[in-house]
Amino acid sequence: MLPVLLLVLLAATGADSVEAADWSLFGPNGPAIEFHGFASQGFIGTTDYNYLGDSKNGSFEFTEFGLNAAFNPFPRTRIMAQAFSYDVGDAGRYDAVLDYALAEYTFNDYFGIRAGRIRRPQGIYNDIQDVDLARTFILLPQGVYDARYRDFFVSLDGVDLFGTLPLKQAGSLAYELYTGVVRPSLDGGLALQVRNSLPITGRLDEIRSPTIFGGQLWWSTPIDGLRLGASGGFVPGFDYTFTVEGPAGPIRLDEKSDVVILQYSAEYLWKAWTFQNEYEFQNSDSDTPGVPDESSFSWYVSAEYRFNKWIAAGTYYTESYNESFKPGGAGTGATNYPSDANQRDAAVAVRFDLTDWWLFKVEGHYLRGTDLLEDNASNPIRHDNPWWMLDLKTTVSF
Amino acid sequence: MRNILRNIAFISAFFLAGVLHAGSLTGMVVIANEGVGVDHISAAALRNVYTGRTTYWQGGDHVVIAVCDGMTDEALNEVSGMDPSEFRTFWQRLVFSGRGEEPRTAADANDLVKFVASTKGAIALVPSDAQLKGVKTLVMN
Repeated sequence: MLPVLLLVLLAATGADSVEAADWSLFGPNGPAIEFHGFASQGFIGTTDYNYLGDSKNGSFEFTEFGLNAAFNPFPRTRIMAQAFSYDVGDAGRYDAVLDYALAEYTFNDYFGIRAGRIRRPQGIYNDIQDVDLARTFILLPQGVYDARYRDFFVSLDGVDLFGTLPLKQAGSLAYELYTGVVRPSLDGGLALQVRNSLPITGRLDEIRSPTIFGGQLWWSTPIDGLRLGASGGFVPGFDYTFTVEGPAGPIRLDEKSDVVILQYSAEYLWKAWTFQNEYEFQNSDSDTPGVPDESSFSWYVSAEYRFNKWIAAGTYYTESYNESFKPGGAGTGATNYPSDANQRDAAVAVRFDLTDWWLFKVEGHYLRGTDLLEDNASNPIRHDNPWWMLDLKTTVSF
Repeated sequence: MRNILRNIAFISAFFLAGVLHAGSLTGMVVIANEGVGVDHISAAALRNVYTGRTTYWQGGDHVVIAVCDGMTDEALNEVSGMDPSEFRTFWQRLVFSGRGEEPRTAADANDLVKFVASTKGAIALVPSDAQLKGVKTLVMN
């Protein structure tokens, strides 16, 4: 509701632009604090299945808003923080979170360090996957960037080393190496996914905060506009506890696994075109006897074209595969949905930049498979039939 | 394996379609705040500034980029490899992920020069016939 009110308020002003606000907390000669913010409200409508909310009836549970501040108190030092809240179907629930809050010191172009709550780099979009204004599409390819899992994938409390190394005629290599603690929420998408995998009488009690290690490399090639990336993350001991009601009373169980995430990326900017291609692989290696390992992978290829300052259009095709739900796989016995083995999605989007601070998007999807639904209660019957999705979204920012 | 081969083929297509960057700033000059500790700048260093790889000048002042919609578009494309919309989106990504400071927008060349003159660490591209007062011109080398 807040984003809608903000939209109305901003629209009512009739302003031509809304600039970032600077505020000198430390007097006229002190460092200025720079403020930015955004608010997005979306709509998701689907045929056949409920996806990212109660979408068969049309869902407005697709909201994000954030406010950030940054300033440079000393030479080579920057401090910044962002508060964020979101609601995507049953995930988020408008819980206000400290999205990032960090201090950064840059020794030179080759080496710098960030510490605090930092955004986790992975591929082209992971650290900005909830920033609607930074892309043409409403929904990024969900097998790679699932809108529900931001509490697990996007931020961590830790340290990030970064820099860019010149490679002379071979371009340059940007790197980030990080480690820290991830703090998944019981209202987050990861908790929803875990709950969905529990027995019917199961209740999720706790997701412990695991440590994550990882890095990202981006090679800016000698070909102007082309960069290639590789990233990886390792979560040893991802751990949650749940309770199952048994005939003799409740039984408390613990599930622990090691998670590996790998991703490679390619992006090419050429004139008004942007081409992207990414591949992501995840493997969960369970420490619990009798619990099978799970692995999944997803890839997409996309093309975007900007016609002018006001209109851009894009299309992508993506496929996601869950090895557990392949015929004979570990997951088919539990839920028995063969269509959960994969999901294919062809999307077309148009973005209208109505003003410098207000944009509107419309997007259509043609899908097959049900790998990413992950909501058994809302989708009791699933087949490998074609289904459709329409998304609308508007965002204001300053 | 088939998917991997498909993706490798797609990446290869990127290479085949690529063109090496070659450009010069015709009719424009690079200006900076007088406190900025450099007098010369190479095309590669300028590219690093406009793509967020260089965020601090020698001496430690942070880089503040200023642009002017319409007036600096072509030069911006030459130095950053991005058209104005891509450039704006690129910096929004950095700003909202806690990795950068958004370039400031000026209304015209006079405002651009005034902003650069009064802001530590500021840099801008302006037409070579603009009134340059209180700023330094960086020589391209």
